[in-house]
Formats: sequence, structure tokens, C-alpha cells
Amino acid sequence: MRSDRRNFLKLSIAGAAALSTMSAGATLSGCTSSGPASGMKILRPEDLELLRALTPAVMKGKIAPGDAAQIEQTLLSFDTLMVDLSEPVVVGVLQAFDVLNMGLTRGLTTGQWAAWSKASLTDTESALGRLRDSGIGLLNAIYAAVIRLIISAWYLIPENALTTGYPGPPKKVARVTPDAVPAKGVTP
Amino acid sequence: MTSLSTLTLGSETDPYNSAAARGWDITDASQLNSSLELEADVVIVGTGAGGGTAAETLSKAGLSVILLEAGPLKTSSQFDMQERAAYRDLYQEGTGRGTKDGGMVILQGRSVGGSTTVNWTTSFRTPPETLKFWAEHMGVSGCSVEEMVPYYEHMEERLNIHQWAQAPNNNNAMLQRASDKLGYSWATIHRNVRGCLNLGYCGLGCPVDAKQSMLVTTIPGALDHKAKLVHRVRVVRILRDGDAVKGVEAEALTSDVRGTTGQKVTVRAARTILAGGAINTPAILLRSDVPDPHGRIGKRTFLHPTTLTMAIYDEAIDPFYGAPQSIYSDHFQWQNVDTGPVGFKLEVPPLQPAFAAGFYTAAGEEITESMDKLNHTQCMIALLRDGFHEESQGGVVELNDKGEPVLDYPVSDYLLEGVRRAWNVMLEMQFVTGAKTARPAHVNGKHYTSWKQAQAAVAELDLVAHKSKVGSAHVMGGCPMGDDPKQSIANCDGKFHHLDNLYIMDGSLFPTSIGANPQLSIYGLVYKLASTLLTNFQA
Repeated sequence: MRSDRRNFLKLSIAGAAALSTMSAGATLSGCTSSGPASGMKILRPEDLELLRALTPAVMKGKIAPGDAAQIEQTLLSFDTLMVDLSEPVVVGVLQAFDVLNMGLTRGLTTGQWAAWSKASLTDTESALGRLRDSGIGLLNAIYAAVIRLIISAWYLIPENALTTGYPGPPKKVARVTPDAVPAKGVTP
Repeated sequence: MTSLSTLTLGSETDPYNSAAARGWDITDASQLNSSLELEADVVIVGTGAGGGTAAETLSKAGLSVILLEAGPLKTSSQFDMQERAAYRDLYQEGTGRGTKDGGMVILQGRSVGGSTTVNWTTSFRTPPETLKFWAEHMGVSGCSVEEMVPYYEHMEERLNIHQWAQAPNNNNAMLQRASDKLGYSWATIHRNVRGCLNLGYCGLGCPVDAKQSMLVTTIPGALDHKAKLVHRVRVVRILRDGDAVKGVEAEALTSDVRGTTGQKVTVRAARTILAGGAINTPAILLRSDVPDPHGRIGKRTFLHPTTLTMAIYDEAIDPFYGAPQSIYSDHFQWQNVDTGPVGFKLEVPPLQPAFAAGFYTAAGEEITESMDKLNHTQCMIALLRDGFHEESQGGVVELNDKGEPVLDYPVSDYLLEGVRRAWNVMLEMQFVTGAKTARPAHVNGKHYTSWKQAQAAVAELDLVAHKSKVGSAHVMGGCPMGDDPKQSIANCDGKFHHLDNLYIMDGSLFPTSIGANPQLSIYGLVYKLASTLLTNFQA
């Protein structure tokens, strides 16, 4: 119990720096530093493994665990969302992922000691519950950020937004009039 | 309300379509192939409520004005009411801006027009209680209710600010009905719109230019008077010669405004006005290493920390359509001004799907089943009035190692008490108007089925910052005005106390939060400050 608590405290200090969205220079020692996965602009292979496990739990009722097409579409949307955020935010999110990806911190924070690829839906739900209910604010913040991003990624896909009873926006037809020639670098 | 998805909207209203014919001088700094050096009477950093108002006031009087904007020029021809593009193009950090510990998400605009391009049009004069508090406790002079009246009147006329005359959408109507049932005061909101079609997309950029944002009013007004607009350019620091400020040094941003191109933009001007908003204005001062003998820059930054409850009704609410905000209640706002528990304003937000999903502090079926009923969902928000009580000192703007601003604003127990009290008030309002279920924004919250059940559950929720959803759409303070340099960094004309030729004209001047949506407070104050600056210039 005591050693668990010490570990949490250590993590809390390392992680507080990590999650501070602007701590661009800081990296957790021992974290992976691979580049983006194939087909992705920001998400790394280990992030995809994590998100493939988390997405069906976060979007339960919309995505079944085996629904690879839905999961991959959500991950692509997630990657685009990351591109649209600012660099400091992206750095913070990737550092939060590092906490969830690395064996020791993953196990300590979520109870998921095996790789994410081996996690069942029940395992993942339990992992999310531990982050949510933790007494450590940093882990609560990681939970809030990760679920918000997954949920946003899914509902930002226009056909998914229509599952809410939302009929969609009016159609916008851009009719640029002839005298709209760019003036001195205007790019309307 | 019927579906709006079959409606088709054109782009005939976009004033920027006739930019060439009107001789407007607009430069997209991302396209620069070499450094750019400019000179003017006045350089204004930022094109939001403050920068736009100052630019039109000064250029109309004949001064040469250069406006610098870090965001892109996006206009109604491109506003297609799709959430992804709007959040990417029109908001700071793609809506990812947050406080240092991740406890609060901050929605702030970042395109030509600043937050006025994406705000929900709600317009209040600065409440008398706030102006009185500033005069009595914050050393502010010249800003009494009577003294401010002509400035508000001028801007209300300029921006067609008037009480909303159409019926509220059902999301707002529930706030009105609940207030009537429970005996709470309420009123209809004033909005800065002209020919509003009641669509509900103010937050994604008005597609028909009905919103009288800076993008379609004062900035075209300034451009018509020979002001120059340079967008996609980020001001790094002010230029100084001893105690005299000489202009600003800036860097061109890439087309997506996420990086720099390497080109420099330098503007030399007789007067420099900072109007980048209450995070970016203090950041420029901090990067410029200006004198700050009393350590005030970036301190006491306020957010109107905002929390919410979501409720599901049998009847249709369609909260994604219709004027986003038309009804408010100040019933719980002014019981005390600077003593006792925190006061709050009650309003509702528009709920386009991805935005609404971000409001749920839930995962799994708790959120997906709730979201399935979005067209039957009503949302109440409470905006806590921070900065008046001694236990509410706000946050601090700091710089990270790259010189980018970070707002450190921990959510205190004083504010959390207000969060719980507001949940109780809002949940009761939802149940008395027939909500089948209602849910507070807490990670362990549920869709409770009765007021009694909700009240008992809320009392048990673990009230800590990261488990309670609190966000902000109003950033204020950090560069307070006042007569005493120990308490403020600018005088009541907006002039920086410790250097010459440097002015601040945005919401960062506010010594506390406003206690109301701040746009008209910025318009009125900045119109006053710019008018005074003009008199000094002419003297």
C-alpha cells in the first residue's frame, strides 16, 4: 500500500509536468520516441494500440470491440483532430499517452499490466474507471482529456453527428462574386 | 422547430468579396517571401472586440492604423457551419486551450474579429455593481455608470445591439419557464445582430453576416479609412528605445497558423496598442521584459468558471438550432458583491453535436445513450463571478520555455462550493419544467430521475477540480487598469504606467471578472479609451 502510494506520488510529479499542456520540452524518461504510425500524421503505433482498446469502451453502444472499420475511422478522425490542436496541446496529449503506454505506469495507473492489445472490453472499462476515480488529479485529468478526444473524434464525423437527432446544418453555397479578386494577398 | 438541413445559404453578404473594389489593404503574412517593414501612427495588436473598436475609432479620425492578427482571415463565404473546420480555424489552439493543470478548457477566438467572430452575440453593459466595485476597491476612476453611458450607447448603435424580439428556442425557453415557476428573476438578452435568421450557428462563424462582429463592422470600417490589416502574424515583443515604445516585432505564421515561416514583420508606430485578449496581451508584455515593479502583469486573470447540467425531456428541444442565448437569469448573481459565497449568472449554450459531446463528463453508454437524445436535451450553464471575494484571486499568466502563454488557474474550494450550489439550482430548474432525467457535469454524475434523487446524489459527489467539469469562454484581467501603479499596470486611459506610447485596449484591463458576457464591456471601454487617445494625439 505504502509503496503503491509512493509510486503514485512520483508519477504525480512526473506526470504533472507531462500534462501541463505547455511543457513542450519535458519528456518522461524511458518513454518511446517513435514517429507517427503509417497513414497517421501524429499518432504513434503504440498510441494506436492504446486507442484501439479504449475506443470501443468509450463509445460503447456505438462501436463494438470487433468493429475494425469504425475503430479505424475514429482513429483517423482523432489524428486529424490532433493536427488541428496546437503543438503544446499535442505534446501534452502524447505525454499523457506515454503514461498509459509504458508498462510500469500503465499497470500502476490503470491496473492493465498486460499490453493494451490483450485487454478485453471489461479490462478497458475497469482501466478507465480507475483513472476516473483516482484520488490523483493528474489521472483524473488524463481520463477527462482522453475521453473528450475520443468522443469528439467520433462525433466530428458528420454522419455520426446525425445519430443524435441532429438533422445537420443548412447547406452553404459559396458564390464568390467577380470582383472578389484577391487584393494584396487577400485569400478569402 | 423544423430541420434547417434543407436550407441553402449563399455568400452574397460577405464584405470581403468586394475587398479589391473597396481598395482594402490586406496582407496574408503566410505568403510573404521576405521580411516586411511598416510604419503608421498606430499599430494595434489583435482584431477582436478591443482591436476592432480602436481601429475604426482611430482610422476614421484620420490616423494611419495597422492591425495585426495572429489568426487567419476567414469570412462568411467559408463559414459552412461544420464543427471541425470552425474549431480548427476560428479558435485558439483548435479549442484545445486549457488551464495549466488541465482543469478548465478555455474557448477563445483566433481569427480576424477575434472572439467576436465566434461568440454567441450576448451583449450586456458592464453591471453597475461591477463598476461600483472597481471605483471603490480597485482604484478605477472615470468609469461610473453615468460616465460610461455615452460609450455604450455609441457602440450599441454601431453594432445594432438590441433586445432579441423573436421567441426563444426551447433550450432558452426552459430557463425562462423554470424561473417563472420558481420565482426567479429573468430577462431577455440583447444581441448584436442585423437581419438574424435565427439559425443557431453563431459559434461556428455567422454564415450570413447577421452577427455584427468586428469582422463585418469595425474592421471593414477601418479598412475603408485606409487602415492596413496583416493577418497570420504573431507579435513576439514590443520595440523600445529607453522608456519610449516604438512599435512591435512579429513573425509570419504558416497558412494553418500552427507554425512560423521564418519571415519577420516589423511595425514602427507612434503609439502601440495591445488588444490580444487577456492571455496574449500579458504574454506580449512578459516576453518584452517591460518594467513591472509591483509584479502585476498576468496576475488576477479571470475566467467566469462555468459549469453545467444536462437534462433530457420528452418534448423536442433541438438545442442546436435557434439564437444560442436569448434568456438569462441573474437571480443568484448579486446577493453579495464581494462577501459570502460566489454569485453566478444562469444562461444556456448552443449544442451542436461534437460541442455537446465535449460537455459530457462520461464514457460508454452513459454518454452514447445520452447523445442519442440530443434533440431532446436541454443544458443550463452557470458562470461564476470570480475576482470579487478575497478567496477568488483568479489565475496567473506565465510563459513556458518557448515563450508561449500558460494560464495557471487552479479551481479553488471557494469556486467548487459555487459549482455544487449551481448544480442544485439548475437541476431543480430542469425537473420543475418536466425533465425526465438530469445530470450534473461530474465524472460520477448520472442521469437522475427526480429532483429529490439528484439533490441527494449531488451532496455525495466528490467535489474536486478534475472530477467536476468547469470551463470558460470569457478571459478577463491580467493587465488591470487603475490610478495606483501598485495595484494596476495601466492607468484609466489604458496607458501602461511604466513606459511611454504603450496602451492596452482589451478585456485584460478589467480588474475583476465582469459578471456578464464581456463583449459590450470591451466595446464601451475601448471606445472611451480610443476617443481619449485621439484627443491626446490631436493636442
